[in-house]
Amino acid sequence: MGRKAKKNDSLPGSLDMLILRTLSLRDLHGYGIVQFIQQSSDNELLVEEGSLYPALQRLDLNGWINGAWGVTSNNRRARIYRITAAGRKQLADETRKYAKLTLAIARVMGTE
Amino acid sequence: MLMRRLRYWTESARRSESLREEMELHLAERAAELEANGMTAENAQAEARRRFGNVELKREDSREIWMTRFLSELGQDVRYGLRAMAGNKAFSALAVLLLALGIGANTAIYSFMESILLRSLPVGDPESLVVLNWHSRPPQEGNKEWVHVMHGIQGHFWPGDKGALVSGIFPYPALETLRPFTQEENPVFSTLFGYFNGLHRTLAVRGQATSASAEYVTGDYFRGLEVSAAAGRLISAEDDRPGATAVAVISFATSRNRFGGPSNAIGQPILVDNIPFTVIGVTPPEFFGVDPAAAPDLYLPLRANLLTDGPEAARMYSDGNFYWIEMMGRLRPGVSMAQAQAALAPRFHQWVAATAKTDGERAKLPALILNPGAEGLGSLRRQYSKPLYVLLAMVGLILALACANIANLLLARAAARRREMAVRLSLGAGRFRLVRQLLTESVMLASLGGALGVLFAMWGMRTLTLLLSNGQENFTLHAELNWKVLGVTAALSVICGLLFGLAPAIQSTRPDVMPTLKDGRGGGPRRRAQHVLVVAQIAISFVIMVAAGLFVRTLNRLHSVQLGYARENILLFTLNARQAGHRDPEMTTFYANLRKRLESIPGVNSATLSQSSIISAGSAGGAYRGTMKIGAVTIAGAGVMAAGPRFLTTMRIPILAGREINERDQASSPPVAVISERLARTYFGNENPMGRRITFVDDKRDLEIVGVSANVRYGGLKGEGSLMTVFTAASQFPPDQVTYALLVAGDPLNYVRSVQEIVREADSRIPVTKVATQAAEIDRTISREITFSKLCTGFAVLALLIACVGLYGTMSYNVARQIGEIGTRMALGAQRGAVVWMVLRRVLLLAAAGLAISVPVALSASRLVKSFLFETQPDDPRTLAIAGAVLLSAAILAGYAPARRASRIDPLAALRHE
Repeated sequence: MGRKAKKNDSLPGSLDMLILRTLSLRDLHGYGIVQFIQQSSDNELLVEEGSLYPALQRLDLNGWINGAWGVTSNNRRARIYRITAAGRKQLADETRKYAKLTLAIARVMGTE
Repeated sequence: MLMRRLRYWTESARRSESLREEMELHLAERAAELEANGMTAENAQAEARRRFGNVELKREDSREIWMTRFLSELGQDVRYGLRAMAGNKAFSALAVLLLALGIGANTAIYSFMESILLRSLPVGDPESLVVLNWHSRPPQEGNKEWVHVMHGIQGHFWPGDKGALVSGIFPYPALETLRPFTQEENPVFSTLFGYFNGLHRTLAVRGQATSASAEYVTGDYFRGLEVSAAAGRLISAEDDRPGATAVAVISFATSRNRFGGPSNAIGQPILVDNIPFTVIGVTPPEFFGVDPAAAPDLYLPLRANLLTDGPEAARMYSDGNFYWIEMMGRLRPGVSMAQAQAALAPRFHQWVAATAKTDGERAKLPALILNPGAEGLGSLRRQYSKPLYVLLAMVGLILALACANIANLLLARAAARRREMAVRLSLGAGRFRLVRQLLTESVMLASLGGALGVLFAMWGMRTLTLLLSNGQENFTLHAELNWKVLGVTAALSVICGLLFGLAPAIQSTRPDVMPTLKDGRGGGPRRRAQHVLVVAQIAISFVIMVAAGLFVRTLNRLHSVQLGYARENILLFTLNARQAGHRDPEMTTFYANLRKRLESIPGVNSATLSQSSIISAGSAGGAYRGTMKIGAVTIAGAGVMAAGPRFLTTMRIPILAGREINERDQASSPPVAVISERLARTYFGNENPMGRRITFVDDKRDLEIVGVSANVRYGGLKGEGSLMTVFTAASQFPPDQVTYALLVAGDPLNYVRSVQEIVREADSRIPVTKVATQAAEIDRTISREITFSKLCTGFAVLALLIACVGLYGTMSYNVARQIGEIGTRMALGAQRGAVVWMVLRRVLLLAAAGLAISVPVALSASRLVKSFLFETQPDDPRTLAIAGAVLLSAAILAGYAPARRASRIDPLAALRHE
């Protein structure tokens, strides 16, 4: 679907997966998602923050997440995203593929 | 899924806004956090932006995600639609053709409505213009006597609500009375200007004389309309004074036709009715005065009529009971029309009350009313708005018919595609996606139809202009395909596409997939929908046929009116010698000599002259309009016709007694009259009228009755005509303008050339005008009826054809579906006749249902066109019966082919097929 390559991703398509993973833990707004990804990766994964929004549109269009206007923890109006059942299924798929892929790479690199 | 997609492309604007808000929040939160970590506010914001990346680009990316999806799907649908259309060429061609006819007809009629009813005058700020009118109780209320403060008129009045009389003409003193309302103490108008239609004048440029329409205008006219000259200057207050230099402004078209361009015309001398004028200016090309029904060639200062109409015109300026001048005002900014009326009406009332001479006149004083002037005078609207609404309703019905028909065809076709749809649904295609794809197909069909329809409309507009103008010399109604009209056409096409596409699309994507996959055949609901559509088509076409029948019958009635004079082999044309400078008594001799010369043209059996053609005698103004008496008895309802020698012979009106008017009747000889039989019977009974006298009271003249003619329909064909006529001698009651009539052998128009030569030889300053055959002159008066009956007959044939195609398609489809059943019946011994009857019975049932619905509809709808009918009742049983019979026979014809096919089914093959 997205025709432009995502610039800062080390693995293509991984941003979608990271977002789904994040939302599978809790409902968050855009900034919260970025914060979560950065903190939980010990700031190793520095997403170009703006890239998040096209990705959110794409996930929404595919029906994997739902966005609704709500209020953040510090009481600001924001669009809060929630993962859908289809999204959880997709996350499970991608997690499986990702595991296979990293395992394969690790084997090639001889780091296993 | 369905709702989500819908949301995506219907709410794209809102989405874009909400995305912007989300991004701003993100930047603000990031900056706030960076600031909390010790950065300065400025740096924090810059850093937040840096980490975010290019905001606009990200927004574009996001938007692209939802747009590309929509566009790529649309592209798919369009490609698929094209394939589907190409795959079924016969269907697509039929559908596009039907729509082109429907949309084209609507576009053509609408373009006329737009030009008549919706277009503003091409002047500065048309919205602030108001037209001054008045209304009063009718002058001839109760008795036949004319009782009104309006003693004389030059202009028009028309009927208003509840029998009231409405008009836009005023005495000149009324203009003077109201003029203070443009001054500082009474500021409702910024300008108040007057004008009157000068009708046809003879305009001579460098010795070439033609007939030109003239408008006389006050000095404020052009300033008030905020029109500026295309060349030279326009008429101003200095030009509109008694004794001012005689100047004229000409229209752009006239400057081009007569001078080769606007700049060449300035300062040139011209003759108007043989009076010298100087051209001082040219109006802009788009300007046509204030009346869309007229396009003056010539604008003269109001008081120039003292030159062209003679010094006797001076009394028009002082007579408070002579109504002639029309007025328009321009409201000052901030003044509403109601406020202006409230200010003007009492002043006018006070003035007009003083002009009343009797209590009868005081009882029905005119009351001033203001009307919006943005669209100019309403004469065209009054004349054409109702006919156009009727036509628009008819073409609207035709389009509905076309839509119903295509919907029907689509339903039948949906049967073929039902398997395809079922497969796609079961493979997980969204139903909305399928409906959308089907709708894309139908809108594509409709758009193609609309595009073709525009071509059809262009042809239709030309035809309609021709039909409506029907020989009128300067027909000013010009419809055009502007953006407004094309926009309406485009919208209409899309609406049609959705209208006829929606039901079949929803039907064919019904999610009861399994039965269809199993047997591949359609079920009951579609058949019911098809039948409903067929019944609707029959009902609609019946309504159109009844309308057409009524109009055709009206025309027949008009054509069968007994004229009492010859309609064929007569050439008419009109000359105005007065406008070329001739004066009585020389003028009468000139006309008489010309008649003799015309009679000498080879092939001309006889020539005569009269004040006007007989058919237009009522409206053209007679030789005498005052009271006539026989002894002490007043003659009521008789027309007077000033005629030259051999009038009755040329018009082939039988002479029942005495003689017709001849060359011995001279101005100096005793005045004579020939009366019609009806007049003789009414006022003389069985006595012999020969030698008796008719008194023209106002002229104080006694006429001796020298002959009795057969009855002649004097004036128009419809009720306004009268069978009581008094023919007087043109030499004794000389008209300014005469209409010659030549009774010829062969086509009258072959003689036009000889006529023009003879007139040029006699006096080259006199243009030959209103050249027409008698038949055309008569048809001109019933052009609306002719147009209606031709157009509506065309519509009715079209409607019948469309309905029959629909019926044929439905029955063929039904027969195809029932092959098995029919085969079984035949195998069990059903005769071919029984099978034919089985199919035809259904056709008749459908037709009967359609008729049952539409007879009451037609009866109530036809009452709306009652005013268009002549000697025909809106519920004319013969028309209804004929329309019903035609429709039933057409239905049987359309149903017979499928019925025959059904009866030819080979039972064995059919059963095997099953």
